[in-house]
Amino acid sequence: MLDLTQNQFVKHVVMHPFEGFEDLRWKKSGSMVIATVIVFLLFFQQLAYNRLYGFQYYVSYDKVFNIIPYIFRSFGLFLLYVVCNWAMCTLFDGEGSLKNIYIVTAYSLIPYIAGSLIGTFLSHILIIDEQIFIETVEIIGLAWTVVLFISAMKAVHQFSFGKTLALIALTLVAMLACVFLLVLLLTLFQQVLIFIFTIYTELSYRLRV
Amino acid sequence: MSGFKRLLSACGALLIMTSLAGSVHATESYDPYSYDRWGDAVSSQVGYSAEKFVDGKLINGLYDKISGMSGFDYDDESWKQLLQLKEPADLFISYDDKMYIVDKGNNRIVVTDLEFNLVNYLDQFNYNGETLKLNAPQGVFVDQYTDYVYICDTENSRLIKCDYDGNVDMVFEKPKSEIYSQELTFKPEKVVVDKAGNVYLVVGSITKGAVMYDKTGEFLGFFGANRVEATAEIVMNAFWNTIATEAQRDRMAKSTAVGFDNFDIDDSGFIYTVTESSDVQTDTVKKVNPKGTNILHTIIDDETVFGDHNPAYWSIYTKQSAIVDIDIGPNGEMNLLDFAHGRVFQYDKLANLMFVLGGSGNQLGTFLSAVAIESHDDMIYVLDSRKNGITLFKRTDFGEIVTNATDLYNKGYYDESYEPWQRVIKYDGNYRRAYIGIGNALLGQEKYKEAMKYFKVAISRKRYNRAFEGYRDQLMQKYLTPVVLIIVILVVVIKVLGILEKKGIVTFPWTRRRGA
Repeated sequence: MLDLTQNQFVKHVVMHPFEGFEDLRWKKSGSMVIATVIVFLLFFQQLAYNRLYGFQYYVSYDKVFNIIPYIFRSFGLFLLYVVCNWAMCTLFDGEGSLKNIYIVTAYSLIPYIAGSLIGTFLSHILIIDEQIFIETVEIIGLAWTVVLFISAMKAVHQFSFGKTLALIALTLVAMLACVFLLVLLLTLFQQVLIFIFTIYTELSYRLRV
Repeated sequence: MSGFKRLLSACGALLIMTSLAGSVHATESYDPYSYDRWGDAVSSQVGYSAEKFVDGKLINGLYDKISGMSGFDYDDESWKQLLQLKEPADLFISYDDKMYIVDKGNNRIVVTDLEFNLVNYLDQFNYNGETLKLNAPQGVFVDQYTDYVYICDTENSRLIKCDYDGNVDMVFEKPKSEIYSQELTFKPEKVVVDKAGNVYLVVGSITKGAVMYDKTGEFLGFFGANRVEATAEIVMNAFWNTIATEAQRDRMAKSTAVGFDNFDIDDSGFIYTVTESSDVQTDTVKKVNPKGTNILHTIIDDETVFGDHNPAYWSIYTKQSAIVDIDIGPNGEMNLLDFAHGRVFQYDKLANLMFVLGGSGNQLGTFLSAVAIESHDDMIYVLDSRKNGITLFKRTDFGEIVTNATDLYNKGYYDESYEPWQRVIKYDGNYRRAYIGIGNALLGQEKYKEAMKYFKVAISRKRYNRAFEGYRDQLMQKYLTPVVLIIVILVVVIKVLGILEKKGIVTFPWTRRRGA
């Protein structure tokens, strides 16, 4: 039963929101490579959604382009979530390893990426009056991802539904704390660097005189 | 020797400079700019070029008039002052091409023709045998239907209505009405008169709008007040007002709108008002119908900024625009005068920015204290109360083409405006309205694909959408039948092959029989 290849498992998981991830866990399946490809697709989706959308729907400010926000919104947020979720689940006796969390989180993002990319494509062949079709596709994709996501978290940690929701909420709090600490760290390092640089300048002036 | 050398090089430099000046004579003393779709300033071409500056000395006949007066003494300062303009406050060009200059500091009205030859001089008025004199007048208006001249005699708190020779017909004074609070002063600053002879006055102490009289001099009420800007504080007050008792409401601070500062009337009787205050954004420019409602709102939204956007980075000092005067041109263009930067903003009648001209400074074409603007045909006249004179701007070739194209476009002749807009782009590739104009012309000719290109350059999403819709329809009409046909044929072929395969008539190398 369920002798699926890695690629077939991706389809199985996406099409069976309620037992797909349980099957994945039971079979100890799931591929890091596929998960990483999905994260790259997420990055591309973020770019496409902001830069390649149909002109009649959205005009991007083309005078400035900065790729850092896109990197943060895809790779950054994904990795941050995975790490924070792992950190939280160890406190809650969750069963998922870092690798498992990485894989199921990526798999559960597929409908969102697909819906949004299809929406981006449709925005080039539909006019504003037909916007409802695009919105429908994108909303379905997002809702599907939410269902998959909760199911994935539930399966990977073997939690009850309520505990899963609590874990997700706590993970979000942890992510905020992480970002705060990162900003703090960066600022402090900046201060230290400026301090060292000031000493260097001071010394070099004195040596020269 | 070295002195001679220096002289020689100085002569050479002078020669080069004059030849340079000759070749770049069209260059203005300011950077012409315009605003793009994002509200960023982009460089542009000059639509009007400063021609000359006229002060009192250049008014032909003023010297003769003053020196011919009894008791004239050239060495006396007070007489000498009369040879110049002193703090002029307003400018008006009447329908018969006479220019009325309100010389506030000299308490007189100087009337010239458009070549600046003195044709009339009003400083004394005959009122039933009594002689009236002006005291710091600030506004003038000539009624084109009755020929009467209306003068705001500001410091004397009255409005004088007189004929061309200075015989006073009527004097308007502070209205004795309950609506007009009697403790307020009455200093009329600007005046306009409509077709029916109703007189509208901007009075400094009044924020409820213009003071309005009928032609018999009876006070009618206030006209066209500004709205109160919906700041957070005012929204809060409105909320408390709904739950407060009568007594509490009396003690609360009242929110008052800022009164407008200047106005103009166009030939169809619409009054345009401008508000100078730099910390108020609502109703800085209004077009008021005879009922008193602002009809500019039908074409623009509340977010539209008149004058400089924030921040106006083409200037070293970023200031909010302070619009002090408005003039309506022959095609309904609105010329707004910005006191803060000494700039003139010309909008078409649909409130699209056409040109920006002027700047602050002492050179020709820039201003120290611009207070009044008038336009006539292709000329714009700006009065400066510190330079004590009038600067003349003449429309350039570029300005001519743009005006022509805009006029055609606004009247709906999109096809006819195609050619002029193309020429505009040749002059100034940043001119966004040209792309919209060309796009609309192409849209009318059903050249949707090219229209899409132009609308994309103009960054006009809604218009692009219309062009795209047409383009898609064209594509569908062309390709829908073949595409559907091909799909149907493919489906039929695949089905047939499937049936044949099931029956074992054909086998494909990539399918393996079940159980085989």
